[in-house]
Amino acid sequence: MSVLDKLRLDGKITLVTGAGRGLGRAMALDLAEAGADVVVASRTQAQIDETADLIKAQGRRSLAVTVDITNSTSVNAMIEAARTEFGQVDILVNNAGGATKGMFRPLDTIPDAHWHLGVDTNLSGAVYCCRALLPHMVEQGGGKIINITSGFGARAAKNNYMYTAAKAGLINFTRALAINYAEHNVQANLIMPGIFPHDDPVLIKFWRGGRFIPVGRVGKDDEIGPACVFLASELSNYMNGEMIALEGGGLAGGQVPCGFAPVVPLEEDGV
Amino acid sequence: MSLAGFSLQNKTALVLGASSAIGRAAALALAEAGADVAVSTTLATQREELALKECQEKIHALGKKSFAQTIDAAREADVQTLITRTVSELGRLNILVNAHDLPFAKPFADITPKEWQRVLEVNLTGVYLACRAAAEPLLSHGDYGRIINIVSLLGERGMINGSVYCAAQAGVLNLTRALALEWARSGITVNAIGAGWTDGMGLLKDAHIQEQLVRYLPHKRLAQPHEIGEAAVYLASDKSGFITGQTVWIEGGALSHL
Repeated sequence: MSVLDKLRLDGKITLVTGAGRGLGRAMALDLAEAGADVVVASRTQAQIDETADLIKAQGRRSLAVTVDITNSTSVNAMIEAARTEFGQVDILVNNAGGATKGMFRPLDTIPDAHWHLGVDTNLSGAVYCCRALLPHMVEQGGGKIINITSGFGARAAKNNYMYTAAKAGLINFTRALAINYAEHNVQANLIMPGIFPHDDPVLIKFWRGGRFIPVGRVGKDDEIGPACVFLASELSNYMNGEMIALEGGGLAGGQVPCGFAPVVPLEEDGV
Repeated sequence: MSLAGFSLQNKTALVLGASSAIGRAAALALAEAGADVAVSTTLATQREELALKECQEKIHALGKKSFAQTIDAAREADVQTLITRTVSELGRLNILVNAHDLPFAKPFADITPKEWQRVLEVNLTGVYLACRAAAEPLLSHGDYGRIINIVSLLGERGMINGSVYCAAQAGVLNLTRALALEWARSGITVNAIGAGWTDGMGLLKDAHIQEQLVRYLPHKRLAQPHEIGEAAVYLASDKSGFITGQTVWIEGGALSHL
């Protein structure tokens, strides 16, 4: 079998949370293009219906399920709905997450409720999904979990508390999954996107088009799907507890400003 | 995207250390994905040269252009000649894979300065020399180029008797990050594939050691070389252009451990 055939996901059932727009939708569509059927979930019915229609237009099966990712009862119901429709789920993409109430505020002004909402949206939701699905993955002989963290899971930002802590938590949660479920043939890995403004002019302006990113541009939504397909495919079967970071080089540096480039020649007697 | 986004048709690659298990797997995967692939070994033993020849023949059998050449990766002139030949025989150079590897492990106090120097020369300086010689042909395309360094998980963690090998591997890892930043605006990405303990690896000749190791690994088995090498296809593809300075670790959960 050619290496490109090993990327195919024909007959695999995938579930993508936060699939109504942005990176979640991009990943759902690329998984479908690689051959998978895709359950798409998010809070907003109209958005996931649209994603599901796009998947069906590719000739794959799809099911749209609304879910409140911060509520484990709702998450359990989503997993059951997916299993009822397709019999099993082979690949879980925990993508739901994002900014929540109280983000960008000083720590001493954040009430408990805002803290919990941020952590539940960006960490507990993925935990609930894994908890509900893993027993079934074990029973069916294996599976793949792909958790979507963020550059803010590795580096902090001004007045960003819940999101950055939860995304960092998701990284080590993924490592814990990796070592606990390796023997059950479940691989858990991460994608760490950097700055992806989703073609939103306001966000592009906010991030200054990526001037401060080493490659000089922001990420494009269609760049995340191939990473997701790679981690969902058999090509990554020995990869576990690890990460693909799509962030234009930001993490390779960071201790000096982008573009900082001193030149210091060797002194004569040092040559 | 489509799966066609992973295709490497009309691209050319050079794989240093293609006689090693992982290098050979990377070379064959790149050819399967459509690239023409030149291969080289840095160890001039008969076994290595036979392995290299076989790798080259497999690439030809896939209908792709290839040639095989033995070099000393630590010799500037050898490396330069190889890059020049790649450009002249394959037409250009798009993808450089540094997979050459000189395995070595010895108690720290017994390592001679000569041994220290040789391990650093092949495993670290060799990567520098290849990147240096490849700079001109890679940069000349303006918007697409890929450097993929194969490193060991010993670049991230220490090991008894591994001092010089660990130092060299860590050197390659941070060279990867620094060069990634320097060439970030030229369309050249510089990444690493972090190999876990892999079947056929030079450091795993002792069966007893290997058995002890496998019990410790979360996956309870060694990687097969293709599981490491095939990731080169993704990092070489057009769609990985926003990934640079990164290491894709494929190590069966080993780094998630305490």
